Amino acid sequence: MATTLRLYLTCIRNTLEAAMCLQNFPCQEVERHNKPEVELKTSSELLLNPILICRNESEKCLIETSINSLRISLKVKQTDELENILTKKFLRFLSMRAEAFQVLRRKPVQGYDISFLITNYHCEDMQKQKLIDFIVQFMEDIDKEISELKMSVNTRGRLVATEFLKQFI
Amino acid sequence: MILLQSHSRFLLQTLLNRVHNLEKAVEVDYNWVEFDDVRYHVQVSMKNPHLFLLSVSLPIPSADTVFCGGLPSGAIEAIKAAYGILVQILDPPRDGFNLTLKLNLSKLPLDEDNRHTILVKVASIREVVLGAPLRGILKQLGSRVVASDVNKLVALVHRPKESFFLVPQAEKVTVVFPMRFKDSIDIALATSFLQEFVEARRTAGLNNAPPCSWSLSPPQELKGAPSDALSANAGFVTFVIFTRHVEGKRVDRVIWSLSTFHAYVSYHVKCSEGFMHTRMRRRVESLIQALDRAKPDAIETRRKTHSRSFKRLVGDGNAG
Repeated sequence: MATTLRLYLTCIRNTLEAAMCLQNFPCQEVERHNKPEVELKTSSELLLNPILICRNESEKCLIETSINSLRISLKVKQTDELENILTKKFLRFLSMRAEAFQVLRRKPVQGYDISFLITNYHCEDMQKQKLIDFIVQFMEDIDKEISELKMSVNTRGRLVATEFLKQFI
Repeated sequence: MILLQSHSRFLLQTLLNRVHNLEKAVEVDYNWVEFDDVRYHVQVSMKNPHLFLLSVSLPIPSADTVFCGGLPSGAIEAIKAAYGILVQILDPPRDGFNLTLKLNLSKLPLDEDNRHTILVKVASIREVVLGAPLRGILKQLGSRVVASDVNKLVALVHRPKESFFLVPQAEKVTVVFPMRFKDSIDIALATSFLQEFVEARRTAGLNNAPPCSWSLSPPQELKGAPSDALSANAGFVTFVIFTRHVEGKRVDRVIWSLSTFHAYVSYHVKCSEGFMHTRMRRRVESLIQALDRAKPDAIETRRKTHSRSFKRLVGDGNAG
């Protein structure tokens, strides 16, 4: 299990390393505008082929690249109703704080749970390698956090139930 | 606090406060609300400082629960049995309340311990009033009296416009709780909690606890129940209470925990949500730190200032 996760993350890391060569590129339609091309998709010659990396059906990562911006969308595994709710809650919590994470997109791309939007300005401000480290750590942390949250809910449930039933003995 | 306390803490505090300063005449007029829409009102006038007026308003019962005279059946008897000469039930009760009691604080026992016990009992008025019908049924079970209405579904109010159901039988009482929650997160958490009840019952230490089951569809016992009782978004919990569970002193605890079962689960659902938020906030901080590590100049300047001040400090120390 752990090895497949490692492989999945390594694959994403390598792809990001290759994909993250962004350059400043002014908008072709409107003068003096500079927009992330991956969002606008105005001219096909500025876009590269999107890459989809799947670990399994429920866990995948879509990397869309353009000349001046890069969009990473993640789908996190949700095996049951509780995990689904926890994931939704946690990722909503993160999206609402997108201001603090400059690279986080406010809304996930359709069909995914959370998205990042990295522009050439981010690449100029931050070290590319560290930015990739952050994305990978983010993915690891989300998985860890959700399984820990689930565990804490279950532990608490067990304790609550035991204490309640103890009163009858 | 894992289990809910049966006395209202604020009421107990108010009573103790009053009893300790009995000679001092003060005007008291408090209104407050507790979980499951139970409202309290206390009043003490300047003229008669030893008279304490306590009014309680109960949750509005659903259509299938019977209240006689605004109170659950057997409540008046239960109050009389619990408090004796200390209280007097005022009829009619205060406007907007189901019950008004007049407590004569000068009739309290003088012994400190006894007095405290009876004050705690007064503060648990909610348990006495709302638990009265449940107490009647469990008493019958305890004394093994076969009542006339065996196998008949009894609905008892525990939340505004919601009831739980009892099926009294000769050797056991089956208690069914339809669990309803407003929020989708609450539903998911409560469902997993309720499944833990079933799991926990199977462990060795709890072999003697009441058998407990959970299902999404209404259990057989609810066959005769009205249709609006049969919809519950977090499923149905069933406990089977046997004679051994209501023996002796235990019965008080059983009554309280059964009549506040929904509140108990919902309290812990809210607590775990609070805990989740704390965790998530911490996680956001650690992730932001990870992102900050990617910004080159921020780190470099910080590192520079640190080392400089450190060096200077060492130098100063040597010179001194």
